Amino acid sequence: MNKETIKIGGMTCAACSQRVEKAIAKLEGISKVSVNLATEKASVEYDPQVIRVSAIKDCVIKTGYQVLASDKNATDEDRIRKQKEIKTLWTKFIIATAFGIPLLYFAMVPMLSWWPFPIPKSLNPMLYPLRFALLQISLVIPIIIAGYKFYTVGFKALIQRSPNMDSLVAIGTTSAILFSLYNTYRIIQGDFGAVEKLYYETAGVIIALILLGKSLEAVSKGKTSEAIKKLMGLAPKTATVISNGKEIELPIEDVEIGDIILVRPGEKIPVDGVVLEGNTSIDEAMLTGESMPVDKKTGDKVFAASINKNGMIKFKATKVGSDTALAQIIKLVEDAQGSKAPIAQMADIVSGYFVPVVCILALIAFLAWFLTGQSLAFSLTIFISVLVIACPCALGLATPTAIMVGTGKGAENGILIKGGEALETAHKITAIVFDKTGTITEGKPEVTNIITVEGVERDLLLRIAASGEKGSEHPLGEAIVRGAQKENMEFLPVEAFEAIPGHGIEVTIDKTKVLIGNKKLMDQQNISLSELKDKSDQLAQEGKTPMYVAMDGRLSGIIAVADVVKESSAKAIKKLQSMGIEVAMITGDNRKTAEAIAKQVGIDRVLADVLPQDKSNEVKKLQAEGKKVCMVGDGINDAPALVQADIGIAIGSGTDVAMESADIVLMRSDLMDVPTAIHLSKSTIRNIKQNLFWAFGYNVAGIPIAAGILYLFGGPLLNPIFAAAAMAFSSVSVVTNALRLKGFKAYK
Amino acid sequence: MKKKIVLALFVSITLFGLTACGKLDVVGEQSEKSYEAILTSMQSRVSADDSNGGWSLQSPDDEARFVWTKDFNKTTTDVMLEVAAQPFIDAGLDVTKLPEGMVVGDKIIIGTDLGDENVTYVGEASPLDSYKKLVKNYRDSISYHQALDHYGVKLGNGNMFEWAKDMKTNDKDIVFVLNPQPFIDAGVDPSALESWVFAKVETMDDSGKKIEVDKFLKPFDVES
Repeated sequence: MNKETIKIGGMTCAACSQRVEKAIAKLEGISKVSVNLATEKASVEYDPQVIRVSAIKDCVIKTGYQVLASDKNATDEDRIRKQKEIKTLWTKFIIATAFGIPLLYFAMVPMLSWWPFPIPKSLNPMLYPLRFALLQISLVIPIIIAGYKFYTVGFKALIQRSPNMDSLVAIGTTSAILFSLYNTYRIIQGDFGAVEKLYYETAGVIIALILLGKSLEAVSKGKTSEAIKKLMGLAPKTATVISNGKEIELPIEDVEIGDIILVRPGEKIPVDGVVLEGNTSIDEAMLTGESMPVDKKTGDKVFAASINKNGMIKFKATKVGSDTALAQIIKLVEDAQGSKAPIAQMADIVSGYFVPVVCILALIAFLAWFLTGQSLAFSLTIFISVLVIACPCALGLATPTAIMVGTGKGAENGILIKGGEALETAHKITAIVFDKTGTITEGKPEVTNIITVEGVERDLLLRIAASGEKGSEHPLGEAIVRGAQKENMEFLPVEAFEAIPGHGIEVTIDKTKVLIGNKKLMDQQNISLSELKDKSDQLAQEGKTPMYVAMDGRLSGIIAVADVVKESSAKAIKKLQSMGIEVAMITGDNRKTAEAIAKQVGIDRVLADVLPQDKSNEVKKLQAEGKKVCMVGDGINDAPALVQADIGIAIGSGTDVAMESADIVLMRSDLMDVPTAIHLSKSTIRNIKQNLFWAFGYNVAGIPIAAGILYLFGGPLLNPIFAAAAMAFSSVSVVTNALRLKGFKAYK
Repeated sequence: MKKKIVLALFVSITLFGLTACGKLDVVGEQSEKSYEAILTSMQSRVSADDSNGGWSLQSPDDEARFVWTKDFNKTTTDVMLEVAAQPFIDAGLDVTKLPEGMVVGDKIIIGTDLGDENVTYVGEASPLDSYKKLVKNYRDSISYHQALDHYGVKLGNGNMFEWAKDMKTNDKDIVFVLNPQPFIDAGVDPSALESWVFAKVETMDDSGKKIEVDKFLKPFDVES
């Protein structure tokens, strides 16, 4: 299956996105499709053997919408297109208002006895009714032209038996105009009383108000995607490449892997790479949200769009174009913003049936009033009001706008949420399992104690152990290697190496079989630890990890390694506990060491001595207790548990595999980002619920009022103009509510 | 988009131009037809009024008549109502309290000078021709009264002469309409006024706003 994202233009409401989604889903070879109204994108999973992307795009066009360019160069075009769209909408609104105000004035003043300003005698409807009607026609025509898209799109959708918001507006205003034209004809025929049954101003003002709503909505929608625009705007356009000893300024697209790039103080790093020359500090806030610059020296990694603060460096490009960390983040955030949360499904289902149901309700209300003796004009007013007030655009915007702002806000704080589902699930979390090494601790343990059995020299033990661990990637092994390096020891050649996951390593050095690892490894090899048991227990109680070293089947000593607990760990755990979330720690370390670390950070539940392959089982056990489990980890060995958990959170200092497996990626290693991510999820879901409540509530309350239920009991009748104003307000209020999330503050 | 806007403006300006054109004066045109129907129906009550330089339409009860001029240039009161004063006196009217010249003998005269337009006729002038001159030269004095489905000639100060747009469907074919306020101020008790109806009528004022006002009405169903 291939994945493709198609940018779609012309969608105006939830019914539109539903329509496109249904049309694509019907195509053969499509396994999954999700159309997002707010991002105007369709995410499609398809079988390339069965269907081509061009066929999917054709389907979109046939449905009545445009396929927009979506290649990487289209970002600027997209921005320009959006700006143009907003400008066009405002122009249309201004035209509609310029003609709508006099239209409303002439139509309404005869009814407002308290209004101090008259209309000219030559336009007095009782003196010159036809003039009065023709004046209104001349004023409504430019408004209809300004809102012509409602008619072209709306009627097309209606013909295709998939009515949308535009269909409602088109039917409502066309009914008003046709009825008014009929009454104008009656005036010509001498029935001057028909002058009181002109509804040109209703049609005109409805269009003007909906154009206002659309303009405000477009501006607000633009603001919801500001985070991604900010990210996209970070990348520099050019890079200074050293070629044959000369500095050449190249467009960023022309930089290739292996190019040597020069970056002066104050300049942005153009692509990802490794420092070859120079020392500097770099502001990586765009990646991590961390404002403190990071010192860089030869061999350190640098990332595109980060800012070189004070030194000149040369670095070798290792990742360019869409492979840079920035490009990956942008893609991740874009995908997340384009994804749908499960909560959106309800809105989608409702939206699919909403417009046809509203059309039927409007017709029923019209017939009910007309057949019970009300005039055609009265019944038509009801019909138009119901159609206009019931537009489902607020419903369609309720979820995606909040997700866009929520995920964007996350990205601003270095929290990359991979999708709407992750965002939604995160707020339900009841238990969090933290990996210990590299997550709760810094992940850079140091050798603290070296204890030998009688007859074994301290330096020899360290040298042999370090030589064995040289080929290991385990943090504890690396600590032993660093310990030997500090003492300027020379490594011995290793004749054989075998890593035993979760246990340790087995190596052969100078024909001696050496085992380095935990108690399990020693037990497995039947090596007695009794000689150093007391020492070992003491070290573990101090939170240190005892690494046993055995040579030729006999215990030679212990090298204790301790990791430093991160500054933010205890605070983050306390915060999570205060949020009512149970916190546990999982580690392959022995229980005593694990408990010592857990005690330092305030964790009560410790899952110790857990093999990598068993971490996911531990998560399963918690899930079996009915808990919604979140796993936070950084290593390859955490990947299965990250996948198994309801929400997997990988911390940015971790491996690519962990980040790939996670639902949420923290760009910083600061554990306070975990409660922040959950808090953001809660805030976003609360915002979505508020939006859905208003969108549904508005329609549930609005339709009966528009249908005349208040009038039935002696109350007022809703004028279609007020229905249009309310409809425009509903969309704007939903988007504005979503924008409130921009004020979200991360925990510090 | 620009083309569409230009086209829309063109159509709008054309329509606007048409609205300014008198040919679209449906009220004026239609009022002539219905006035003709009234004159035909009440032929015996239509006569030349040489003393007032125009034509007279007498009410069936002989208590009121509507007079309209033949030539605006030759008369100082171009349209007027002449009604019997006695019913008002019986209802308490103190004639000395009415404006000077309003009561002449046993009649109350209410009229207005529309202007001094000199009019010419092709051949002999007829009552309808003179009405058409009124429409042509002083169109603003002709209105449509939706509440009663009437046309009317404005006589100033809220006084009117109205006739049915369609005599067949209207039970008030002609109506003499008086602003009651000067009479009430002069002592008339509306409830004691015989042969006139004191009623609230919805109409539109000169500034185009709907208003509800008190009127003395003297309606007649001529058709029946």
